[in-house]
Amino acid sequence: MNGREKDGVQDDALIRATLAGDESAFRVLVERYKGRAFGVAVGIVGDGDDALDVVQDSFIKAYYKLKEFRFGSNFYTWFYRLLVNQAIDRWRKSARSAEVPFDESWLSDDASPPDAFAYPRTPEDLARNRELGDALQRAIGSLPEYHRAVIVLREVEGMAYDEIAKTLGCSVGTVMSRLHYARGKLKEALKAYRDR
Amino acid sequence: MDCRTAHARIGEKADGILPRDAGEELSGHLSGCPSCAAEDAATSATGPLLRALVGIRAAEKAPALDAMWTRVRAGIEEGREAQRRPRWIARWVWLSAAVALAVFTFLFYPTGADRSPFHPRSFDVAVEDVESEAGTVALVDKGEDLPRVIWIIEDGKT
Repeated sequence: MNGREKDGVQDDALIRATLAGDESAFRVLVERYKGRAFGVAVGIVGDGDDALDVVQDSFIKAYYKLKEFRFGSNFYTWFYRLLVNQAIDRWRKSARSAEVPFDESWLSDDASPPDAFAYPRTPEDLARNRELGDALQRAIGSLPEYHRAVIVLREVEGMAYDEIAKTLGCSVGTVMSRLHYARGKLKEALKAYRDR
Repeated sequence: MDCRTAHARIGEKADGILPRDAGEELSGHLSGCPSCAAEDAATSATGPLLRALVGIRAAEKAPALDAMWTRVRAGIEEGREAQRRPRWIARWVWLSAAVALAVFTFLFYPTGADRSPFHPRSFDVAVEDVESEAGTVALVDKGEDLPRVIWIIEDGKT
């Protein structure tokens, strides 16, 4: 998307209008990105209400920091950095962050027995399969914060490696290793669910 | 292709970065290796499942998400209030400090006619020495534990 919106006003124009005092321009940005922002936030913090608070706080923070935005860069990359940090802060403050100990058991190379198990792939199918949803949520919750952020930005947002690296302020190599790690953890949770 | 290589390729496939020819080679391995096929099924399901999970949470909170601008606007307004408040408080702090200083100065500024209570005459003054005919050097001693102060009085002014 390159920080632009094909339909409607470009992000940069909306930011300039906001900085000039037009609050309705900022409203357009909020409406434009709130859904995607919620997806990222809920992927990181897990709880829907916490995610709403994170999205709200991130937009408010963005409003007051908007004068620091560098024109020419992507608004959503800049905004997602605020959002992810806000979500991680929220997660750390939450008691839930201490619930699941970190382990590396997924690194074992034991192969699972073959079967024809079909995982659900739509929200409707997953909603019907609450146990799997819970297992997945627990697996996400057991990931370290930045690993969780990486897999959410990649799988939910569809961001490229370099965009994730810019958003999180790390190298592409770090993104790749974190993604590999996170995906392995989720994969193990799915296999454990299937094998139960 | 051995199973170890296949596992590495499965991850690349899930990321969408596996070249076509390597993908075809992997497919050939998966069709003959149920173990790697199960690994591939679980790995490639993580993305869709994560999106499905987010989709469920988003659907649950859709009404609240619709009202996001109202929440954000309220937060922005609250932030403005918070920014105004300290300035307002600061103004009163400076004003109070200025008034207190003025009162203090008015009460205690030594005038020519009356230098009390700080003039040495109001203490037990020990005149140690007189160096000049025009002035008086006084050593003020307020007690054993207190430091001594030297006053120089010239033409009636301290």
